[in-house]
Amino acid sequence: MTPALSNRTSGALLQVPLVLAVLVLAAPLLAAMLTGLLAGGTDTWRHIAETGLFTYSWTTIVMLVLTGALILAGALPAAWLVTMYEFPGRKALEWLLILPLAAPAYVIAIAYADLFGVAGPLQSALRDATGWSARDYWAPDIRSLPGLCLILAGALYPYVYLAARAAFTTTSLCAIDAARTLGAAPFSVFSKVAIPGARPAIVAGLSLALMEAAADYGAANYLGVQTLTVGVFRAWSSFGDASAAARLAVLLLGLAVFLQWLERANRGAAGSEATSKRWQQIQRKRLSAPAGWGAAAFCTTLFAWGFALPVLRLSWIAMETSAPVASLADALVNSLALAAVGAAIAFLCGLSVALGARRQTRLSRISRVVAAGGYAVPGAVLALGGLIVLSWLGLGLTGYVALAVLIWIYVCRFTAAGAEPMQAALARAPRSMDHAARSLSGSPLRRIWKIDLPIARSGALVSALILFVEVLKELPATLMLRPTGWDTLAVRAYAYASDERVAEATLPCLLITLAGLVPVILLSWRLSKARPGDTR
Amino acid sequence: MMSIRTLHWVMAGTLALLAACGQTQDTDQTSADGDASSGPQTVTLYSTRHYDSDKRIYEAFEAETGIEVLAREAGAAQLLETMRAEGDASPADVIIAADAGTLWRFKEAGLTQPIVSDALEAAIPANLQDAENHWMGLSKRHRIIAYDPERLTADQVDEMIKLADPALDGEICVRSSSNVYNLSLMGELIERLGSDAAAEWAESVVSNMARDPSGGDTDQIRAVAAGACSAAIVNHYYWIRLATSGSEADREVAASTALSFASAGAGTHTNVTAAGIAANAPNLDGATAFLEFLASPEGQAMLVTETKEFPVIEGVPLPEGLETLPEIIESDLDLSRLGANQVEAQQIYDRAGWP
Repeated sequence: MTPALSNRTSGALLQVPLVLAVLVLAAPLLAAMLTGLLAGGTDTWRHIAETGLFTYSWTTIVMLVLTGALILAGALPAAWLVTMYEFPGRKALEWLLILPLAAPAYVIAIAYADLFGVAGPLQSALRDATGWSARDYWAPDIRSLPGLCLILAGALYPYVYLAARAAFTTTSLCAIDAARTLGAAPFSVFSKVAIPGARPAIVAGLSLALMEAAADYGAANYLGVQTLTVGVFRAWSSFGDASAAARLAVLLLGLAVFLQWLERANRGAAGSEATSKRWQQIQRKRLSAPAGWGAAAFCTTLFAWGFALPVLRLSWIAMETSAPVASLADALVNSLALAAVGAAIAFLCGLSVALGARRQTRLSRISRVVAAGGYAVPGAVLALGGLIVLSWLGLGLTGYVALAVLIWIYVCRFTAAGAEPMQAALARAPRSMDHAARSLSGSPLRRIWKIDLPIARSGALVSALILFVEVLKELPATLMLRPTGWDTLAVRAYAYASDERVAEATLPCLLITLAGLVPVILLSWRLSKARPGDTR
Repeated sequence: MMSIRTLHWVMAGTLALLAACGQTQDTDQTSADGDASSGPQTVTLYSTRHYDSDKRIYEAFEAETGIEVLAREAGAAQLLETMRAEGDASPADVIIAADAGTLWRFKEAGLTQPIVSDALEAAIPANLQDAENHWMGLSKRHRIIAYDPERLTADQVDEMIKLADPALDGEICVRSSSNVYNLSLMGELIERLGSDAAAEWAESVVSNMARDPSGGDTDQIRAVAAGACSAAIVNHYYWIRLATSGSEADREVAASTALSFASAGAGTHTNVTAAGIAANAPNLDGATAFLEFLASPEGQAMLVTETKEFPVIEGVPLPEGLETLPEIIESDLDLSRLGANQVEAQQIYDRAGWP
């Protein structure tokens, strides 16, 4: 075999995992979308188009813009501060800031609706102290669009925080050093050097967070905000029209395509590759006392808002009412098992997509859009797509088939979240490395094995843990597809919460958070030990 | 670009996968058949109820009959699609839903079959049964008004239509219209008042709302107690649960609000937790036996203890808290109408701008 032929064969071989990934990811998504589009304008659809569609779309757009702005306003300064400066509590805050990943947004929404609600402890205390009635004063309403945005931003900012932190410590570092040496003011180093350099990573993290926000049903519904996803569920449950629900979800797919486009448009931006391969220790500047405490207060507030405050409130409710709850041991085991298997397979899919993205073929672009689509569409709609595919195959949703379909839907839903950190790691590696390898006539397979995989490894841990935590938190698809006896913690929490028994729901909610906390702390610890690109 | 060779690989791989899936299903079915003939008997329950006490019912049923109950709980709309997808292979024997309208949907989708049981026929009041016996009501609930007795008099809220009174401007708290309890209430109002008057009622209630709908019924009762509004449309058992709660703050909420079993046109709006038998029930006898157990005095008592609903048969002790309620004049509406009117109900709410 000539080397050229071997190259072509191994190049083709490389496509196999990517093609498989696309097939796996696309099937439920396409099935649901096709069903939605082919069903045509049913009466339900016409009614929604006349009454709710504008509200749903407009609310969703405002929600995304506001949530995105809040996430950037919180995550970017926090990532910058913990990376570049020394201040009281920095070491702890560096990893504490990741913890909101472990808590599902719907759980945070329950906690805040209670805490700030008209009957909650704060307003009750105010009324007790003053003798006022609820009509005698004005209080901000957490059950509102701004309230939802604040809650989603608190739950989702770690995506941007993680991405920005990784980018600040690698790609921008040399330029930052140069700018500092040239005497640039700290803020202009941040805004003119660090942010532009990290832009591709930040946009990628933000688009993940926004897709997750768009697909959120639990929090929006609980707070009474009419987003598209809430509309999808209304079309389904009130009108019993699953196809109209799927048709509405097509709009969410459009959003995923838009965010993908935005990400691609930013990927080519200047400074996206590491400009130097020199290993550098970050010289953290010690902040003066007032500035240091200010930085600590900013980061602590962010952490408290996204995690500490709601989790403490839930723990308080759980203790106060000491509601009896049936054993959650089985649910915990089920949750962990599904999360482990789901995360492992989604990881492989994510790796294929991330490695494919390095080649920039049409197939790799399709794979990214399909993965993003799964992430932007509510789990229940994907599950519906899975059921449709199943009926095409003539299979029933029973026993192992049901488990397999559930895992499959997890993979469709979360691959994008798993691919992103590895993709970002690969994107940071200079092209010149690839060109060098190519000129040394390494086969594509060898190139991947020797170069791409080791580079992707620096993002692999983040990928795996994000996937694990995402599956752990997943509710709607699990609710629909799990075989009997496979209740997860999220399912149990839903069961209580849907019947307005918040006190009983708190224990499974806290357990989800705890189970997610273990890997997240592992991740934080690993990240604070090693810088991405570390060769150890 | 993908080469022809790659394409072949992919197709071969896909086929192998499909074959493997088919294989799995075959073995699955064999084992299911085996279970039915030799292993311990089971009844599979698809339920939209989520109560820990239900698990005690399953245990009691198993102790009495030796039949094990396997339960799958999910939302009604999703459960329906799941059952559709399962088709003939569905393991479901019994469907239980917290709303008559939901069972109506399952019946319309051809997922239920007539229940044949003299015992059930005799035990359950006729108006709580489907005309073709596709489902039976097992426990009752009422949608009523919880109000602030210091701000409103009882006769201001003794009928649902009075919530449309402009005098109640800014006084009403109620949850989202897509909740099935509100859909069923509208289902009855459409029957009693006609579609146009029901739509006018919805518009007036929207303009009387103290705030945008959010949260559940309990949240609305708490809002009345806190003084944010004066009247809330809620299911009776949410108030009872507050009144009998272990938390003193909850009991205070109940104590500072009053209940009106407001007429929805001809008696208080009544709905049921209902059960049906799956069209392809693998264990038809077991399913029937389970429903008969639920309608027995023992089953009835267990069914309502935690939920605070009303039993449907006479002579069952009421759950704690219900004994304090006054005599209730129940609506005698054919409950099938709730399901039949559900889509129109949501349309009316949507046009009225009730989120």
